[in-house]
Parts: sequence; structure tokens; C-alpha cells
Amino acid sequence: MCKDMPPLELAIQFHGHICPGLLMGVRVAEFAQEYLGVGRDYDEELVAIVETDSCAVDAIQAILGCTFGKGNLIFKDYGKSVFTIGSREKSKAVRFSQNIDALAKPQFKRFRELNQKTSLSSDEVAEKENLVGELFEKIMTASFEELFKWREVPYEIPAKARIHKTIPCALCGEGVMETRVIISERGKLCPSCQAEFGGELNV
Amino acid sequence: MCEANVYINREGREEILMEKVDRIIPGEDNNIFLESIFGERKIVQARIREMELVHHRVVLEEVKQEIITPDKEIWLEPETDHGHFHEGEEVRLKVFQGYNMRAEGKPACPELKAFAVVDGEARQIDIAEKEDCGEINLGSEVDGLVQVYVRESGKIDNYAKVVVEVGHHHHRGLQAIGLPLEIIPCDYSHARMGESYEVQVLKEGKPLPGVLVRATFAGTHNRDYPHKLNTNDEGKVKIFLTARGNYLFSVNDGEIRSTFTLMKSF
Repeated sequence: MCKDMPPLELAIQFHGHICPGLLMGVRVAEFAQEYLGVGRDYDEELVAIVETDSCAVDAIQAILGCTFGKGNLIFKDYGKSVFTIGSREKSKAVRFSQNIDALAKPQFKRFRELNQKTSLSSDEVAEKENLVGELFEKIMTASFEELFKWREVPYEIPAKARIHKTIPCALCGEGVMETRVIISERGKLCPSCQAEFGGELNV
Repeated sequence: MCEANVYINREGREEILMEKVDRIIPGEDNNIFLESIFGERKIVQARIREMELVHHRVVLEEVKQEIITPDKEIWLEPETDHGHFHEGEEVRLKVFQGYNMRAEGKPACPELKAFAVVDGEARQIDIAEKEDCGEINLGSEVDGLVQVYVRESGKIDNYAKVVVEVGHHHHRGLQAIGLPLEIIPCDYSHARMGESYEVQVLKEGKPLPGVLVRATFAGTHNRDYPHKLNTNDEGKVKIFLTARGNYLFSVNDGEIRSTFTLMKSF
């Protein structure tokens, strides 16, 4: 009990709070583990391709172990609640697409309204707490089909993340990955010097 | 006036409640229904204080819902947020008095009697008086499942019970301890957030159907118990655990009130 933190707990600890988006990610991660017959990633056995940067992605990172730093979390900024989870060992991948009306209930709308407010009255704090509880139960007890469509997709998972040489930027002197260097008249520049200072050191 | 912004005055402070409201319907019990041109709807407990039609402005005044709280209840809280104690750890419990897991005043410790029940055998234990609560110390020798209850006799008989787990994986059968009104977990196991949890209410050892069971959790922002359920024919209620920390179940019947603290690890 002390050692094995259940998936939901892992996600909440990682994300910090409970919200509908995170719970949707919990459902995806748990379903993917069962569907693919895999556990938590140790060293890039799994890959997640996410098409949103919503709260759900934190659950995928925490539960599946596909993380930004490990390189097996690939973000495509499409603004879609679509997640593709693949297993290198099983050569199998599954794509999840959130149903458009999955979070369309009035309680979700009200939750978003409260969430966007900068300050809440004491009644609203209680209302939000009750809404989180209500939505929590709805999401965690709903059938998976109510929330997502899924299908197995051809296994086209990118190769493992590569580690490249680091070289110093000719302007700021900070290390930059060799593949990201921009060659200019001033020498090999890091992207930030090139973008922010137009190639001239101004810091 | 086509639509108006609705403001609410709360304790002398005015704040926007809803913009572009085109329907305001006062209801019973100080309820006011609001609907905006965007389709947002809200029901608030308030009365209309002022309507400035030219300025498209309506001001409501909050009406605080009066919570009729029963007499104060007592409950137990373990001195751990871990869901259980470890072997060799000092097992300490606090005794509180109040309502909805909000302590109000200190319990009258000399009037209270506390018991620890292990394998059906009860032994009386001391309650030490602390600044804002009572404290029970079971020491660091206990192991397994221990049921602790506190009794306060008076016009209303108050009972508070908790199941304390010391060490890991003690899932052997948990029996009712025989309180006149008792809440028991239906299937004792480690309770966690995101799971359903069922309890049964027994009166004189028999299931009590149709009685109101309240449930709350540590740190709730609700003034009253957030969950209120009636027991089914088997005297059972089930709730879905959606909050961190410990939960408290409370039941009243006649002149007896009984609470049960559910220790959660998360």
C-alpha cells in the first residue's frame, strides 16, 4: 500500500489538483495500459503522441511514464483531444479521440466558468468543490465509449530519442544542441540569440 | 431595458454575479433564477435589493442559508494522513466536537469514555485533555485492526468510532462492535479516492433502513454536510469518494448520534 501508488493518485500528485481534463487523461492512460497489455514506461518502451497540451497530458505522463524529458511524449499542437499511445515491444498503437460532447454537460460549463474567475466567493468555492466531486464521479464511472472513440492504428512510432552533441553559441556562449544551431555570418548561433537579438548579442 | 448586469451584495461587498441577464425569476425560499443572453443559468439565494433600469443594473442581496445544525457531534481523527499507522509507530487519535468535521469548542473530556476493541474484546483507554481536543494514545505496541470508539452520555448519547489499521494488509473480517447505533464499513479494505465506499447503519445490531446518513470530508468548503443519503432496505448507503483525506459519516436516530471516521491514504 505504501509503495504502490494507484494511477489516479499518481496523476493527481503530479498535476497538483483534480479537474475534469486530468481525469479524462486518467481514463485514456488506464485504458491504453489494458488494451496494449503494458505497464508504466521505464525506458521508452511506450510512446505517447498528444495533439493537445491540456491537463489530460499530465495524467498520461504520470501514469504511462511517457514524459517530455524522456522524449517519448510527442506534442503536436493541433488543439485536439487526441492521444495515440504505442508500445515498441508489442509493435502496436491505439488512437483515442475524445467525444465532442463528452464534456458538454451543464456541470462542465459551470465548472469552466468558475475556473476562469480570478476570485471566488465562499459559496462559489463550495459550489466548485461540489462540481468537482460530481464531475469526478461522472468521468470515472462513465463507460469508456461515452468519453472516447478509439481504434488501433498502424504502428508508426518514431525512433527512440537521440542524444546530440552540445556546442557553444557564438554569441551568448551557452550550450546548444548541435542539430538546433543556426549558421550565420557571426558563427553558429543558438535559436534564441537568432530569434531574440537578430544575431546580435544584447543581454 | 433589454438586459442587465446582475450584482450581488455579500456582507457589504458588491460583486458581479452575471452579465447580460435577460430573465430573472424569483422563486420560493429566497431562490432567484437568472438566465443570461448567452444561456448561462444560475440559481442564487438572494433577494432583489435595487433595480436601476436606466443603467441596466440589478443588485441582489445575499440571503445566507440558515443551516439548522443538530447538537454538536463528536468524532475521531487519526494523527496520520497516511491512511494507516506503521508497526512501531505511536498510534494517536484526536477527539473533536463540532459539526461537518469543523471543530467547535473542546469536548468535555472527563465526561467521555473511550474503548479500544481488538478481536471483539474491548478495553477502556484514557483520553488526555489537550488545548482544543481530546487525545487518545494507544502506544506503539498495537498491531492489526483496532476499532476505537468514544461514548458521551447525556440528553443525547454521542458515539464516535474509527477503524485504525496498524501495519499493512490486515483485511480480516471486521465485526460490528455492538454500539446502540453504529456505522460499519460493508467491505473493509483500503479506501481510496475514485472508489465507491459503502457503509451500513445498525441499530441494536440490526440494519436500519430509511435513515439519513450524512457524509463529509476533511477540509470541505461546504457549510453543511456535502453528502446526504438515505439508507436502503439493508440499511446501506454508498458514496463515491472524490476528495482527499478522511471522510466522516454521521447518523442520528432518536436520542442517539453516531459517527464513523473513514481513514483514507489519499
